[in-house]
Amino acid sequence: MLAYFARRLAFALFLVFAVSSAALVLARLAPGDFAAQSVGLDGRTETMAEARARYGLNRSIGEQYGVWIAHAARLDFGQSLLFDRPVADLIPERAANTAILAFTALLFATLVGLPLGVVSGSRPGGLLTGTIRAASLVLLSMPPLLTSLFLVFAAARTGWLPVGGMTSTTSTSAGDLLRHLVVPAAALALPLAALFERLQSQAMSGVIGQPYILATRARGIPRSRVIWRDALKGALGPVSSVYGLVIGTLLSGSFAVETITAWPGLGQLMLDALRARDVYLVAGCAAAGSVFLAVGTLLSDTALALVDPRQKEQIEVRG
Amino acid sequence: MTLAISPACGRSDTKTGAIAGQEPRRGGQLVVSARTEPRTFNRLVSREATTDFVASLMQARLVRINQVTDEVEPWLAESWTRADSGLEYTLTLRPNVTFSDGHPLTADDVVFSLAAAYAVPISADSLEIDGRKLAMAAVDPLTVRLTMPVRYAPGLRILNNLWVLPRHRLEAAFKGGTLAAAWTLAAPPSEIAGLGPFVLSAYSAGQRLVFARNPHYWRKDGKGVQLPYLDQLVLEIVPEENTQLLRLTSGASDSTISEVPAEAYATIKRAADEGRLRLYDLGVGLDPDAFWLNLKPGAFAGDARAGWLQRDELRRAISMAVDRQLFADTVFLGAGLPVFGPETPANKKWYSPDAPQTPHDPAAARALLQSIGLTDADGDGVLEDAKTRSPARFTVITQKGRPSLERGVSVIRDELKKIGLGVDVVALEGGAVIEKIMSGRYDAVYFHPYLSDTDPAGSPDFWLSSGSLHFWNIGQKTPATEWEKRIDELMARQMQSLDEAERKRLFDEVQKIFAEHQPAIYFVAPRVFAAASTRMINVTPAVQRPQLLWSPDSVAVAP
Repeated sequence: MLAYFARRLAFALFLVFAVSSAALVLARLAPGDFAAQSVGLDGRTETMAEARARYGLNRSIGEQYGVWIAHAARLDFGQSLLFDRPVADLIPERAANTAILAFTALLFATLVGLPLGVVSGSRPGGLLTGTIRAASLVLLSMPPLLTSLFLVFAAARTGWLPVGGMTSTTSTSAGDLLRHLVVPAAALALPLAALFERLQSQAMSGVIGQPYILATRARGIPRSRVIWRDALKGALGPVSSVYGLVIGTLLSGSFAVETITAWPGLGQLMLDALRARDVYLVAGCAAAGSVFLAVGTLLSDTALALVDPRQKEQIEVRG
Repeated sequence: MTLAISPACGRSDTKTGAIAGQEPRRGGQLVVSARTEPRTFNRLVSREATTDFVASLMQARLVRINQVTDEVEPWLAESWTRADSGLEYTLTLRPNVTFSDGHPLTADDVVFSLAAAYAVPISADSLEIDGRKLAMAAVDPLTVRLTMPVRYAPGLRILNNLWVLPRHRLEAAFKGGTLAAAWTLAAPPSEIAGLGPFVLSAYSAGQRLVFARNPHYWRKDGKGVQLPYLDQLVLEIVPEENTQLLRLTSGASDSTISEVPAEAYATIKRAADEGRLRLYDLGVGLDPDAFWLNLKPGAFAGDARAGWLQRDELRRAISMAVDRQLFADTVFLGAGLPVFGPETPANKKWYSPDAPQTPHDPAAARALLQSIGLTDADGDGVLEDAKTRSPARFTVITQKGRPSLERGVSVIRDELKKIGLGVDVVALEGGAVIEKIMSGRYDAVYFHPYLSDTDPAGSPDFWLSSGSLHFWNIGQKTPATEWEKRIDELMARQMQSLDEAERKRLFDEVQKIFAEHQPAIYFVAPRVFAAASTRMINVTPAVQRPQLLWSPDSVAVAP
């Protein structure tokens, strides 16, 4: 088991290295650079050259990458060109905001999606199951961009919820944060809840006809107890297998949702960095995203092992 | 023209947006939004719009260009005199002015500020005349002597680019060579001092900046009331345009620091009609988008299109082929005015209505193309070069994500197709477009270049052939054409003459030459609209950004 986790950790380190390196090199290779944007069209050639030298953009890609990787090995990810602050300072503050949003969305999606999946999977046919399935399909087919826009529009029209932002100017209470969380968390959670519902529903339909379930029922145990205890545990595999990946993806930040709802998270920071060709910030954000993804994958495997002993055995055999 | 389209209640003052019976009073908070964060609190290192707006809240200049009248007006300098030579100015500072930390302003701060600006290339460019620096010396604690390197007709307008900074706070960084790294976004608010109406009281990364009244601000209104009127100004960061407008229409914010985009006009107008917002029609804008072909000599060497791509006739044909009214209707949804050069009627002082205007005449355009050997020999509707048989086709680069540019280039492509010219459109990020322009590796560009100043002498980089904003052929060592040489001569005289009538006559001639050769083709200048909540009063709207907030100390909220 220990060897398995050591191997996963090594893979995670490789993933972070590969993704951040690729992000830096690709951001540098893309046409245009930060100096051109900051100096502008009316800047003199000498001013542009000075800006390129100041930002290290006059070096070759190889040289710039070499310097960056040497510093990154010491956890110094460079200075953001856009904000003139260390990347290592910018990412944690934005990642914390994204984490608040991600875990709220995950909690909502789990509390809504899983039970609905159990209901629809254990009662094939019927109006309730049909309605749940139709709602899930609609939510799954809606891009997050549209969902966010719709929810922000609804918030503006009704006045019930804040139109974007993370906190109010005058308040720092938890209640204020919760009110601001509703729209972005719902935009992220609704399609996720639909995904969980669909996965759980299909898994439940498979498990519900298994002999061990029928045998339990034959012993006179109430149907609801069999479904919500025995069948649910047996059907958690598919959701568990994607759960960690979902966490990793959510923690990496969503461009669309964070931008539209003005949530100051990692996704918005990455978008700003990409637009400005801030190569160090792009690499830093990509590194953070890959860390979350690696941790998510590990969590996913662990969760699967916990709910499915066969997976645990495989890990132990391989480890 | 400035017109406030106000809600039904109350009579509106078209100049200030003030409602009868609503005198500005001290107190209250205003929430405005921007789509990007400032990059720094140090205006010397960035000219980006939000950074500039933040600087205007916290810092001040010796003189200010009034964005409504376009005239230079006293600001930290209460008066000045000019020597007969036209080279030397003596400026007298207002007495008893202090920075926001209570430290008194002296002439030494002003001299330091100029030296600091020259220490950072981005800010130095805008304070040089013909590549040479201004010289400044402190005569006494309240008097500064400024010497221009050459006679410069716009005079003190150039000081609009000089922010007066606190020497006692920044001198150590200046001497240590770290001035560009001072006052980053990580700087504690208490570290930043200025002479502007507000001080930074809080910064929440990615969310907002909160500015409180500067208790030491020096300015009072006509009735002796200490400015600014507002207790607090909050600048929210809202990256997405639709969300920004929804916040405005729902009352979550009072205004934005930029104009209303054409596609949002109907929504904002409806909100104004319902009395929820006030919509300002500020008239036609100053800086229209420009289309140009690469005119760098040798840019198409070895290219089969070299014989026609840089000809005057081609540019004239393109200008004739595009229906400017259709352009205005399609790109700006009708809210635009056909223009024929870089100056628009918004530049009241310098725009020449007598400069030649190109009629919409596709038949004449085809004839012009035929005169340079572009004919449709095979009858497929696409012109070919009679000599090389290659199709008359070129690529236009534009900026991605700017609706006016993306829609505009589509209209150009469709209109040119009607006269047989093929256009391929490539949309790139802004920085990539600028890099292409500066490297000279492109066929044609449709972009939004800003002139530095409404006074043409303040934009030599555009007009002079050696200029860096002379984008069709940047930084020429000697003028590439006779007409550019003539413009150089006229502009050199225009920039030095102290006779305003003579300057106008010279610039009229420059505009005429420009219109005859059209090195850059202009189609339509959009009308500019701005919007604000009905509680925001005492506004003096201007066509340039930030339209409603360029004089932030005077803005107030209705009680």
